[in-house]
Amino acid sequence: MTLAFTHPYGLLLLPLAFLPLFAGVQDTEPYPSLQTARSDPLSNAADLVLRLLGSLAIAGLVLGLAGLHRLGQSIERTGEGANIVLLFDRSASMNDTFAGDAPTTTGGESKSAAARRFLKEFVTTREHDRFGIAAFSTAPMFVLPLSDHRDATLGAIDAIEQPGLALTNVGKGLAMALSMHDSDILSTHGADGGISSRAIVLVSDGAAVIDRKVQQKLEAAFLKRPINLYWIFLRTEGARGIFDRPGPNDMDTPRAMPERHLHLFFQNLKIPYKAFEVENPAALGEAVATIDKLERRPMRYQERIPQKDLSGVVYAVAALSLFLLTLVKLAEVRLSDRGLSQPAGRGHPEEQ
Amino acid sequence: MSRPAFREARFWLLAAALLLTLAALFVPRVMLKRDAYDAVAFVDLTASMNTRDVSLDGAPVSRLDFTKQRLKNFVARMPCQSKFGLGIFTARRVFVLFEPIEVCRNFSSIDAAIGELDWRMAWEGDSYVTLGVHDAIAVAGELNATLLFFTDGHEAPPLPWTGLPAFEGKPGDVRGLLVGVGGKTLVPLPKFDDSGRETGTLTASDVLQENRSGLPPPDASSRPGWHPKWAPFGDMPVNNNEHMTSVKEDHLNAVAAQTGLAYARLTGAHALHQQFGAVAQPRSVTAAADIRAYPASLALLILVVVFGVLPLRERAAHRRSHAPARLREAHP
Repeated sequence: MTLAFTHPYGLLLLPLAFLPLFAGVQDTEPYPSLQTARSDPLSNAADLVLRLLGSLAIAGLVLGLAGLHRLGQSIERTGEGANIVLLFDRSASMNDTFAGDAPTTTGGESKSAAARRFLKEFVTTREHDRFGIAAFSTAPMFVLPLSDHRDATLGAIDAIEQPGLALTNVGKGLAMALSMHDSDILSTHGADGGISSRAIVLVSDGAAVIDRKVQQKLEAAFLKRPINLYWIFLRTEGARGIFDRPGPNDMDTPRAMPERHLHLFFQNLKIPYKAFEVENPAALGEAVATIDKLERRPMRYQERIPQKDLSGVVYAVAALSLFLLTLVKLAEVRLSDRGLSQPAGRGHPEEQ
Repeated sequence: MSRPAFREARFWLLAAALLLTLAALFVPRVMLKRDAYDAVAFVDLTASMNTRDVSLDGAPVSRLDFTKQRLKNFVARMPCQSKFGLGIFTARRVFVLFEPIEVCRNFSSIDAAIGELDWRMAWEGDSYVTLGVHDAIAVAGELNATLLFFTDGHEAPPLPWTGLPAFEGKPGDVRGLLVGVGGKTLVPLPKFDDSGRETGTLTASDVLQENRSGLPPPDASSRPGWHPKWAPFGDMPVNNNEHMTSVKEDHLNAVAAQTGLAYARLTGAHALHQQFGAVAQPRSVTAAADIRAYPASLALLILVVVFGVLPLRERAAHRRSHAPARLREAHP
């Protein structure tokens, strides 16, 4: 349990708690001589307790004012889930429908809108997953680091419906997604023991030739750590697919058939890889559901316990001390009123 | 009944302290109305933002790093339940990285996202700042958020002689702040090679010094070597110092006036927050406010009086009045 204070400077008032040790709450009264009174352990103890109660009340109030609280903690739990980097193609064609039209002309749903709908559903249902977001068009773009901030993830998925940019640079996007996993492994210090599943979900509607140099770098990077790769390919009507075989007159080169060759490249990476060719919103939903089913490895995740305000507790202690002190005060008797003749009108001597 | 304690100030003070402490214990959290803001910030990632002509903690840093630091600080100062979205600008339009999200719960993510802004994210080398601002206004209007646009105002290629491109929206429809970043003296633009390494500074012949698309200016015929067909802009190289850069405040002020935004130069984080607050449309949210400190501090004050001030006064009074007098009073 870690305690902390909201206003630590308030603690400068804490020495005030020593005040009651110097002066009690009881009334002082004139008495001829204390020489005859013997030291009484019980009275001394009572005196000390009363003074301590005063100290306790002051200390309680000061701690409460300083905002004593228990820090938020995270507890490690085990569940099913994964660390997933969503890698979005933000090229302009993502804003077209599966039929290749602008969404306004046909009333159909654009590819990015469909992707947004199903991925948001996916993110909301996956309770323990941690998500990171990267995007790419001409250049890779870091959007959000891997985290369990659900609404941040949803905000970033919302943004994929915004107009996209020109090109599709898959290679650099993948490199960015990989480096996000790397920095996450470093920043969590392998807290999950390396058992939890790490995945990249690539959502794109096209492919491009990956530069030879970038290919080698990706191969090396994928070799270093096991990462599951899913490619949701949003195929536009009439466009080439990733499972297309070259016809007798077609050139079987990456430039002529980038989708097929990117798929082959992924297959040759020797990592768990699955490709989904999606031609309508319903198929996209199925693809997401399949990923949901596959990415269910046990993982350790951190459950956050929010910070707890303890000032109520210390105020209660202070209130209790003050209550006891007030009671004691009520039980006080006045020596000078009893037995000694006093001017009339100063209390009722028979009252005891 | 009457207890002796009732006649004593100390008892009443203690009772008051007790009541106040109980009040601190049981007082409900008051729901107060507070202002929250929805903001979307766009950061210019064009090459001129790499110029190191601003300083942070005494060390020169690039305009982009300066913007990032101030923006992080700005988000940290936003009240909880405010929302913040982030986007980037290059070429002639903006690109939204994420739509506005709540700032307190997602702070670490937002902070990391701002930290990762890099000029390499830029997808083209052009820098049509005015068009970018126009596009950003449309996006911010759609997101229903106050716009923050960080730029040095350096247009590349330079604006044509006809001036600003027309603004299609309604000026003032979207509130926002155009933030100028950079020093006021001209410094050369840094130059990068194909792999993105800095290799020096640009020279006058590296950049377009004049926008030669469209019609030539009316005074072109007086230029040396002018020919209506073969050299409508004249045939001598011009040097408009476009390879040098500074924060173009006049231009940004003109853009701000055209679009109904406010202009401010980026200085401190606090100033930025105030300038933003002056233009932003706050959204009223209810937040639980802790008012327990008021009764509790009053109770503490009373206890200090009871245990500190009263005994001191008594002792002082005791010293003044002599003991024999007291005895006489007790035993007349």
